Amino acid sequence: MPTPSWDDFAGLALKRLASSGAEYGDIRIQRATTQAIRGEDRRIASIRDQDDIGFGVRVLYHGAWGFAASSILSLEEVPRVTDLAVEIAKGSASIAVEKVVLAREPVHRDRIITPVRIDPFTVPLEQKTGLLLATMDRLQQEVGVVRSSAGLWTRRDRKLFASTEGARVEFDLLASSGDCTATALHDGRFASRSFNTPQLRRGYELIEEADFLRRASLVARQAVEKVRSPAVEAGRYDLVLDPEHLSLTMHESCGHPSELDRALGYEANYAGTSFLTTDKRGTFRYGSPHVNLVADNTEPDTLAATGYDDDGVACQKWDIVREGIFVGYCTNREVAPKIGEARSRGSNRADGWGSVPIVRIANIGLEPGSATLDQLIADVKRGIYIEGHGSYSIDQRRYNFQFGGDAFWLIENGQRTHMLRDVIYHGITPEFWNSCDGVADRAHRRRYGFITCGKGQPGQSGWMSHPASHARFRNIQVIRGEGRS
Amino acid sequence: MSAGAPWPKMTSREEFQFIAELVLKCSTADHTLVTLQDQDGGTTRFANNQIVQNVNTRRGSVAVTVAFGARQGTATTTDFTAGSLHEMVKRAEAIARVSPEDPEFLPPVGSQEYGACPAARGETIKAGPAVRLEYANEAIGQCRMENLSGAGIVSSSRAAVGVAAGTGLLAFEERTEARFSITVQSGDATGWASSAHRSIDRLKVQERTLSAIRKAIQGADPQELPPGRYRVILEPAAVAGLWSWIIWMLEAKAYLKGTSPFAGKLKRRILDKRILLENSPGHADLLGVGFTSEGLPSTASRWIRHGALQQLLYDRFTAQAQKIIVIPTIEAPCLSIEGTPAGSLAKLIQSTDRAILVTNFWYLRTVNPTDLTLTGMTRDGTFLVENGEIVSAVKNFRFHESPLRAFQQVEAWTAPMEAVTSETGKMLVPAVVLPEFHFSSVTRF
Repeated sequence: MPTPSWDDFAGLALKRLASSGAEYGDIRIQRATTQAIRGEDRRIASIRDQDDIGFGVRVLYHGAWGFAASSILSLEEVPRVTDLAVEIAKGSASIAVEKVVLAREPVHRDRIITPVRIDPFTVPLEQKTGLLLATMDRLQQEVGVVRSSAGLWTRRDRKLFASTEGARVEFDLLASSGDCTATALHDGRFASRSFNTPQLRRGYELIEEADFLRRASLVARQAVEKVRSPAVEAGRYDLVLDPEHLSLTMHESCGHPSELDRALGYEANYAGTSFLTTDKRGTFRYGSPHVNLVADNTEPDTLAATGYDDDGVACQKWDIVREGIFVGYCTNREVAPKIGEARSRGSNRADGWGSVPIVRIANIGLEPGSATLDQLIADVKRGIYIEGHGSYSIDQRRYNFQFGGDAFWLIENGQRTHMLRDVIYHGITPEFWNSCDGVADRAHRRRYGFITCGKGQPGQSGWMSHPASHARFRNIQVIRGEGRS
Repeated sequence: MSAGAPWPKMTSREEFQFIAELVLKCSTADHTLVTLQDQDGGTTRFANNQIVQNVNTRRGSVAVTVAFGARQGTATTTDFTAGSLHEMVKRAEAIARVSPEDPEFLPPVGSQEYGACPAARGETIKAGPAVRLEYANEAIGQCRMENLSGAGIVSSSRAAVGVAAGTGLLAFEERTEARFSITVQSGDATGWASSAHRSIDRLKVQERTLSAIRKAIQGADPQELPPGRYRVILEPAAVAGLWSWIIWMLEAKAYLKGTSPFAGKLKRRILDKRILLENSPGHADLLGVGFTSEGLPSTASRWIRHGALQQLLYDRFTAQAQKIIVIPTIEAPCLSIEGTPAGSLAKLIQSTDRAILVTNFWYLRTVNPTDLTLTGMTRDGTFLVENGEIVSAVKNFRFHESPLRAFQQVEAWTAPMEAVTSETGKMLVPAVVLPEFHFSSVTRF
C-alpha cells in the first residue's frame, strides 16, 4: 500500500466531518522545521534542529467550536482525532447560548511559497557557527565587555489547509533572523546593547546583508559607553524613536487593542481586553493627524503575509488608524460579523498544528511622513533619541504603558549629544499618540516584528511585522529606571 | 498507570526504554542523551459566560543530543517510528560533526537515584473534555446566577517524561496537571482567582469562582489615589509574581560574571531575616517533579534562610567548576516567614490601619537588572484598606519597585498559601504586609 499523502489524510478527515452533522470543519497538517544556533560567551552553547509534524481538526457544530490535534499522522489517528473534535464541539454546543456564525469567504485553492535567494537550511553549519564565534570575539574585544551572545534562527513551515467548504491551500513558508548582544560592566552595574536583524520571511540573504562583524564592533562600543553614561534625569522630554523601538510601542499600544476578540472580551482572563471598544470605531481620536496606522498582510517579506490565514481567508490591507482616528480592527470569520462586517480581515492564525487559530495582530505599520531623521532631531530643544527594545509593560486594557529601550542619546538644542542610561518613559496610549508631531519619510522605513507575541490559553506565540520610520513625540514623562526613583 | 488508561495511550516506561535503546543503538557518537515528552491535554475556555474555545492536543516529542568529543548537536522529532528516530539521530550527528568544540561540554550524567514524587493523579488522567466542560459550566452557572460575566479556563493534561543516556541514566515519570482560572466582570470592575493541582478534583472551582465574584462586586466605583509610596497588603498571587523574578535571577553564571543583582551576596542577608525559601518537590500541593531535563534528581533544598542567600541556580559546568556536588533545583518553591503568622488574609486586613490591598500583578518586567527594579500593573482587584476594613476599590497602579527592597521588612504575614498566576508557575507563599511599596502611576480603570 503506498504511503498516504497529506491530501489523503485531509480527505479522510473532511469526509468524516461532512457526515458528522457539523456545519463547518477544517484540517491543518503542518511540518515545522526549525534550526536555532545560540552562542554564549565565545562558545556555541547549542545547535538545535527541530522537526515538528502533526495535524489539527477544527469543527463548528450547531454554532459551537471543537478542536483536536495529534502528532501522530496515521490512517488510524486522523479519524479518531476528527471524531474527538466533533465530540468536543458537541459538548460546547450543549451549553451554547449564542451561536457562532462565520463570515463568508470565497473558496480559495492556492499554493503559497516564500521566495528566498538563499535557503538557510542549505548554508553549511560551519559557516553559521563561524559567523557567530567571530561576532562574539569581536564583541568581547572591546575592553569593558564581560559577556557576549549571538544567535541565528530559521524556520520552515510546510502546511496544508483544507476545509469542508472546498478550500485547499498549500504553504511553504520560511522566516529567518539573527542577533548579537554585548554586556558591559562598570562600577558595580551592568548594561547590554544588542543588534537584531528584523525577523522577516527571507532567506539567509537577510543574515549576509546584516554585516554582523561591523555591527558587533558598534554594539560593543555602545555597550561600554552606555554602562558608563550618566543616568537620565527624570522629567519631561521630547522623544525621537527609531523604527525598531517603535515596532514594540506600536505592537503593545495599537496592535493588541485593535484585536476585536479582545474588545469583545474573549481574552478577559489572560491577555486582557481593549480600551478600543466597538463604540469608538470611526470616531475616537487615537492619535494626532500625523498618525496613520495601516494593517498590511500583503507586503512581501513580512511575517503575517502568508497569503491566507488559518481561516482560509485571503490576506488584506486595511486602515486601523486614519489621520489619528481609530477606524478598524483585526478580525477573523467568527468575530467580524459581530461588528457588522461582512468579511473577515484575515487575521486568524495558530502557532502550529497543535493550536487552534485565534485573532492575531496584523502587520500594523506606521505610515511614513515627510521629514528626515535629522529634521526630527533638529526641532528638539531637550529630548532623547531611543533605539531598540528594552523593558516594556502595559495594562490589560492597553492604556497605561511603560517602555525602556536598548540605547539612548540626549538631544540638546537640536543635536544628538552623548548616551544616557536607565531611560524609562511612560504614558497613556491615546495621549502618547496624540503627542506625535512628526514621522520620517519612506527612506527611513524599517520592518521589525515579533515571533514571540504571547496570547491565548493555552498560550501561543504570534508572528507579525510592524514597519515604521522614525517618529517624534512631544513632552513625554521620563523616569529613571533604577533605585528609588 | 498507563495500562488500561483511556485513549490515547501514552508512552509507557517500557516503550520509552525501547525507544531509548533504539536511539542509543543508532548512535555512533561518543555520548548520547535521549529525552521524551509525550503529552495529552486540553483546555476549555470561556468568555462572556460562553464556551469560546474547546481544545485537546496530543503531542509526543523525542529529542536526542549527541557528542563526538566536545562537539555536540541536538535534533528532535514528533514522529516515533523507527525510521524517523534513526533519521533524527543522523541529523544530530551531522550537526555534532561540524560543530565547534564546546569548552563547557560535559557528558550525560550516569545512573541516578530518584526520590518518590507524586507527580501523577489517576483522576486527572481519566479526565477528558467532558469533565473540563462540567467544571467550566459550573463556573459559568455561578456567574450567571449573579448576573455577572465570567471568562476563564479549565485545563488538564497528562504527560510521560523520560531521560536516558548511554551512561546508564534512565529516568521516567508520569505527570498530570490541572488548572482553573476565572476573571469575573461586574460593570467596569474585574475580580480574579485561580488554582492548579496535580488532581483535577482539587481545583476548588466553586470556591475560586465565588472569590472572583466577590472581588468583582467589591471593585465597583474605584477611587483614584495619587501615585506614591504606600503600605501594601499583597495577596499570594502578587507575592508570587515578585518572587518569580527573584528566583529567575539566581543564575550562577551571571552571578560569577558580575551581571546578577545578587553579585557578591551569596551567604549574605539580602532580605528580611525571617524569610525562608525552600524547594519541596515532594509536597502534595506543589507541582514538583522527580528529575530535571538532564536527568538530575530534584532536590529538597533551602535557598534563602534567615534572609540570607544560600544557593544559586547552577548549570552542570558551572557547578563542577565551583565544586558543587549536588545541584539544587527549585521547581516547587515554598516561601514562608518565620514567626507567628496571621490566621488568614482577612485577619491580616483586620490588623492593618491603612494600606493598598493587591490581588495580583500583571505584565511584570525588569526595569533595571542591576538592582532588580521591576515594573508591572495591579490587576483584578485593588482596594484601599482603612481601620481593618476594605473601604473602596482603587484604580489600578503601575509599580516601580525592587522586591529586594520591598521585602527588607515584612510587617505581618499569613502561612504559605497556593499562588498561581498566568505569568508564573505554582508556588506556596504567604500574603504579606509590607511597610512601603512604590506605585509610580495610575491607569484609567
